[in-house]
Amino acid sequence: MPQTTYLEAIRQGLWEEMERDPTVFCIGEDIGIYGGAFKVTEGFVDHFGPERIIDTPIAESAIVGSAFGASLTGMRPVAEFQFMDFIGCAFNQITNMLAKAHYRWGAPAPVVLRGPSGGGVHGGPFHSQNPETYFINTPGLKVVCPATAHDAKGLIKSSIRDNNPVIFFEHKFLYRRIKEELPAENYVVPLGKARVAREARGKRQIGVITYAAMLYSALEAAELLAKESIELEVLDLRTLLPLDHQAIAEVVRKTNKVIILHEHPRTGGIAGEIEAIINEEAFDDLDGPIVRVAAQDTPVPFSPPLEEYFLPKVEDVVREARRLAAY
Amino acid sequence: MASKKSSAAHNSRRPKANQAAPKQSSRNHQPTCNQRTYEILDYRLERPDFCIEQVGDGDQVRYQVRGDLTASPPPIRESRYLSRAQCLEIYRWMLLNRRMEAALENLYKQGKVVGGVYFGLGQEACSCASAYALKADEWLGPMIRNQGSLLVRGFSARDIMMQYMAKAGSPTGGRDASSHFGDIEKRNVVAPISTLGDLIPVLAGVALGARLQGRHIAVMTYIGDGGQSTGVTYEGLNFAAVQKLGLVLFVENNVWAYSTPTAEQFLCRDLAERAIGYGIPGVIVDGTDACQVYDAAHEACERARRGEGPTLIEAKMMRMKGHAIHDAAAYVPRELFEYWTRRDPIARFEGFLLEKGWLKVEENRRLIAEVERALEQDRDYAVNSPMPEARTAVGGVYCDPGCHDIKPKYAMPRHKARKPTSTGKASAAAVHLK
Repeated sequence: MPQTTYLEAIRQGLWEEMERDPTVFCIGEDIGIYGGAFKVTEGFVDHFGPERIIDTPIAESAIVGSAFGASLTGMRPVAEFQFMDFIGCAFNQITNMLAKAHYRWGAPAPVVLRGPSGGGVHGGPFHSQNPETYFINTPGLKVVCPATAHDAKGLIKSSIRDNNPVIFFEHKFLYRRIKEELPAENYVVPLGKARVAREARGKRQIGVITYAAMLYSALEAAELLAKESIELEVLDLRTLLPLDHQAIAEVVRKTNKVIILHEHPRTGGIAGEIEAIINEEAFDDLDGPIVRVAAQDTPVPFSPPLEEYFLPKVEDVVREARRLAAY
Repeated sequence: MASKKSSAAHNSRRPKANQAAPKQSSRNHQPTCNQRTYEILDYRLERPDFCIEQVGDGDQVRYQVRGDLTASPPPIRESRYLSRAQCLEIYRWMLLNRRMEAALENLYKQGKVVGGVYFGLGQEACSCASAYALKADEWLGPMIRNQGSLLVRGFSARDIMMQYMAKAGSPTGGRDASSHFGDIEKRNVVAPISTLGDLIPVLAGVALGARLQGRHIAVMTYIGDGGQSTGVTYEGLNFAAVQKLGLVLFVENNVWAYSTPTAEQFLCRDLAERAIGYGIPGVIVDGTDACQVYDAAHEACERARRGEGPTLIEAKMMRMKGHAIHDAAAYVPRELFEYWTRRDPIARFEGFLLEKGWLKVEENRRLIAEVERALEQDRDYAVNSPMPEARTAVGGVYCDPGCHDIKPKYAMPRHKARKPTSTGKASAAAVHLK
């Protein structure tokens, strides 16, 4: 059966939405004839035309601002950041112009901001970041981080159809490494809903709450731990804002011991927010401290041995699961 | 109309005779993609030339102005386009703008205003005559001192007063202050945020959205001599230029950015010269002359509607109050206030209309009284309207399903797919890193 890569799934989702809805258009750097730095929009300009696939100057504030302006006339722009590391260049437009528009003056901003994020590709400090948490504390935004090809396609479609500004973080490590068989029929994946990627069976269960590339580290750890009769229940968050409180509480209810695993640095990471939610909504179900497995509190280093040290490892998950299981 | 020739420094960049472009026949002339605009039009009838410097004066550092400030203001320059009726309309908007702000100042002194008040005193011609050039289905992005432009677009004095008094019935339901409101349905106004220059790419995007729907529209926004220093100003205007979007940008050079005079904000002689750097037309107007402002705005809007892209209009005037009501502007040399008071835009326009016989003394009195009456009604309404209920602080953060039905404003985009293919295969390209 045909296998679709994570990247190809995003392309398909974007293509299908552009076919379905003439108000959808793409804007970003090198997305036209070049097809995008990662080729996500390869072939798009040939089919949809340069009016709808717009190559911009290197000006992230203008890319986001003009996308918002177009959305005020009823268009649905999909703006690409060549690397999500550059999202800082548009931080003010995103958090002050877009995020507050509906609350302040009743103007929806149906804009999707998408691009490659994440490390493990020897990209160094400015091509490997996970900037998603910079936006969690901004009411009005939505933050989406798919881990599977299936979800990448379904979530890009939902994000485009959503009337709010959605920041869609694609994990570049997964672009061509993940291949799945996708449903033939048209489908969407809802925003704000997590998915249980692996169900735990048996007596000793540990919950792992994670997303994006770290999902695969959790699944790999699960295979190893299963041999020691420690079962991981792995929850793929899929959306970071809004978080699926119900799914998070359900994992705690079921397993009573939880690890939160994320690729961005430990301090101020999403684990803190999730731990607070668990504290407020599922404290009585806990049989042990909530454990964080996260990256080092440093910028992403470049040299392979340094980056390997920086990133959370499968062994970290295994070690913490054993420790929690014994608690 | 005088045109300002480029200075010697620019002349050196003109192609020399032996490097002139090859002779082209008019039949197969191949234009270059990019353009040069060295001509900066200057509609002014006077060219004030003064310099503000910091000087140490005993043990105090203060601003001092150098230059000839004795000149009398020239007459209003006849408009090429405005009829008598249109002039009277603009004049009435300017009166309403001025009197509304005076009423706001009184409300502030009575303790009825929440937070500060921002004034466009001395800038009414720029706010009102510029917005007057836009069509109803075109868009405006006002800045803090362009309250007159909001009135021209169809908001009322009571809307603005309720914003300042943070009332439940304000256009934002008390959620934001001053001119931070807009309307996507009818009046086509984009609400500003407090950081400067951010409206510029947004208005460019509005023109882009319209173009995707088959329309070349004019969109208009403003930026100050201070605000134009920001990076987003550059990004937005450059984007509009290279995409030939119909952005009419008024650079309101009112000399002061809070307490910072233009001498400490930029080095170029006239902000209109920045147009050269963007490859777009640049115009200088006297911001206290409603006819000049309108003419430049109208021409720029027409250019935009023909799909010829943006125009940068520098309107020169002075901010006649402090940055906001708390600021007494003690740092402004008094001679400057005197000089620009003689150039009060409303007094100048009133004199122009009376002299032309387009306005009779009695008509003028009636008009002013009518404006005052309407304002009094709006003021009473606003003062007596309720504050928002506390719990209305929450809700509406997101546009939930059923909240807004988003449709294209002008027309459903009609795009023809060029190739009836299904999704092509993405080639496996190596990751490229800058």
